[in-house]
Amino acid sequence: MIKKIYLIGNPNVGKSVVFSRLTGVQVMSSNYPGTTVEFIKGYLSIGDEEIEIVDLPGTYSLDPTSSAEEVAVSLLKEYAKDEIVVINILDSTNLERNLLLTLQLIEKGFPTIVCLNMCDDAVHRGVHIDIRKLEDILRIPVISTCAVTGTGIKLLVERMREAKPISRGGLSNEERWKEIGRIIGEVQRLEHRHHTLRETLEDASVRPLTGLAMAAVIIYASFKVVRFIGELIISRVTDPVFFNLVQPSLEKMTFHWQQQGFWFHLLIGDLINGKIDFKQSLGVLTTAPYIEFGMVLPYVISFYFILSLLEDIGYLPRLAILLDNLMHRLGLHGFAIIPVLLGFGCNVPGILATRSLESKRERFIAATIISIGVPCVPLQAMIFGLLGKFGGFYVAGVYAALLLIVLILGFILNRAIPGYSPEFLLEIPPYRFPPIVTLAKKLYFRIKGFLIEAVPIVMGGVLLINTLIYFRLFDLITSISAPVIHNLFGLPKEAVVALVIGFIRKDVAVGMLMPLGLSVKQLFIGATLLAISFPCIATFVVIWKELGFKALVKASLIMIGISIIVGSMLNFVILR
Amino acid sequence: MKRISLIHLKAGRKGKVIEILGGANMRNKLMHMGVFEGKEIAKLSHIGLRGPVVIKSGRSILALGHGVAEKVILEQE
Repeated sequence: MIKKIYLIGNPNVGKSVVFSRLTGVQVMSSNYPGTTVEFIKGYLSIGDEEIEIVDLPGTYSLDPTSSAEEVAVSLLKEYAKDEIVVINILDSTNLERNLLLTLQLIEKGFPTIVCLNMCDDAVHRGVHIDIRKLEDILRIPVISTCAVTGTGIKLLVERMREAKPISRGGLSNEERWKEIGRIIGEVQRLEHRHHTLRETLEDASVRPLTGLAMAAVIIYASFKVVRFIGELIISRVTDPVFFNLVQPSLEKMTFHWQQQGFWFHLLIGDLINGKIDFKQSLGVLTTAPYIEFGMVLPYVISFYFILSLLEDIGYLPRLAILLDNLMHRLGLHGFAIIPVLLGFGCNVPGILATRSLESKRERFIAATIISIGVPCVPLQAMIFGLLGKFGGFYVAGVYAALLLIVLILGFILNRAIPGYSPEFLLEIPPYRFPPIVTLAKKLYFRIKGFLIEAVPIVMGGVLLINTLIYFRLFDLITSISAPVIHNLFGLPKEAVVALVIGFIRKDVAVGMLMPLGLSVKQLFIGATLLAISFPCIATFVVIWKELGFKALVKASLIMIGISIIVGSMLNFVILR
Repeated sequence: MKRISLIHLKAGRKGKVIEILGGANMRNKLMHMGVFEGKEIAKLSHIGLRGPVVIKSGRSILALGHGVAEKVILEQE
């Protein structure tokens, strides 16, 4: 009787893809180690039985050396060994390294079935594995699969019940590596290949000079493409829909609306010259959907398209190597660049991804840096929308200010928090070119996630703000904070509403600045302050959950401090 | 035969690991990734200014932080 099935394997061998294939549950996968930071459950039906199946974080061995590995190993002990099946997933292109874990699993007496994944990639790279022979040597079932296309998954399920514990003497790791060397000699045949273009690029991207050049080109191109696709969607799809379809029908509705009372204010907002202005009316049916769908969503789509592409190709760990130096100065190591990049999409997954960092200190530094200095896509889209018309200079200025803040803050945190930055040890995956279907699925998954998270909060947020404004409940906060906002930051006192709203959602907050008729200097200060001041509520909650209340208070105090310093510096010194 | 640290090996050269200084945890981590005493590895590159060292061990490409690389002692051919 099988009670549970575990998927275990080295990092970045495609466990999550196999998991998706077995359960039909879509989970995030990328081409770098550590995408799965917690275990994920799903169900697999074999015959008429439904068995729970768990995708464990990647681990190199059963003697854990990191917290993600500890999770994996402790979970394996939940049930008696005869009640579980362990599917050990291996990367066929790198059989040697993967077999250490396999031998450990067999020796410990787990009923194991080996799944040789990425078999298509192995063939491309001239790696041939004799599966029959491997089965004979290991004495457990070995199935060759390609999870991305689904090859072999059915056979894997069919042969699941053949997994039986076998007796095999315990070895030391040195002895295991010797044994593995012997096994590899028998089952693996390498075809001699000339360097392919892919391999040349793989090598060039980790060399100092060519690597930095490639990084510069890739980052610049990514930025350009994100903007290009975003603007294309806006000019070809969303703007026509809003201006030619939504606006006329809403305006028709307003003509029949004699009394411009509470509900009118709530839903439509203010009319500008007798017309609806999507950027200034501030109604639940006008500005709220325009911000989300007309200004933010196009960039969310284009950003995640590029990010997913870079992730799946396997470029990000290479960037981590190149930036390791710099990141060390900030008390982090190179791998922290991955949570930071995810943070550019949305701070929440970025902070969740800091789980792959080792120490609590690193996680705190990374989370603080992300929530202060890394603007999410919605915020960036709004900054572009707001400042873009005054020229790229101001937009670049906001980024430059944020980068400077991150560098200074990281440098100080690294000095101030006792501890050390742990050493970097990372496996660099080969480049892989994801099938377009995989990429599309991942993009769909992320955009759906964004819509579910953002739309209710944005609609609810605008509803709440409009109610508060209508009943003049903001007046109190406005007059209390006016001295700070006005004298220190040079912003009109109405801008405080935007800063308060920033706590709910950044994109709406920047939207609140739109109707105020601010000068470019004021917009610049407002946008920068919104970026660095309190993170939105979702980020707030995630910092609390991940790092605890004390860390949240510390991070918040840092934010308030920096906001006041930066706001007044910008106002009095830099932009005089 | 010269005994040198991985950071002093020139990029593009090969060497055999003869000793890994440093704590049990680091040795274990390297061991699990297939870098252990007796293993032959090749150095691919070294990012300057105390940056990481990239090596090829078996079919794996690994990046070792400067501090780790310092402690991997090789015998150069």
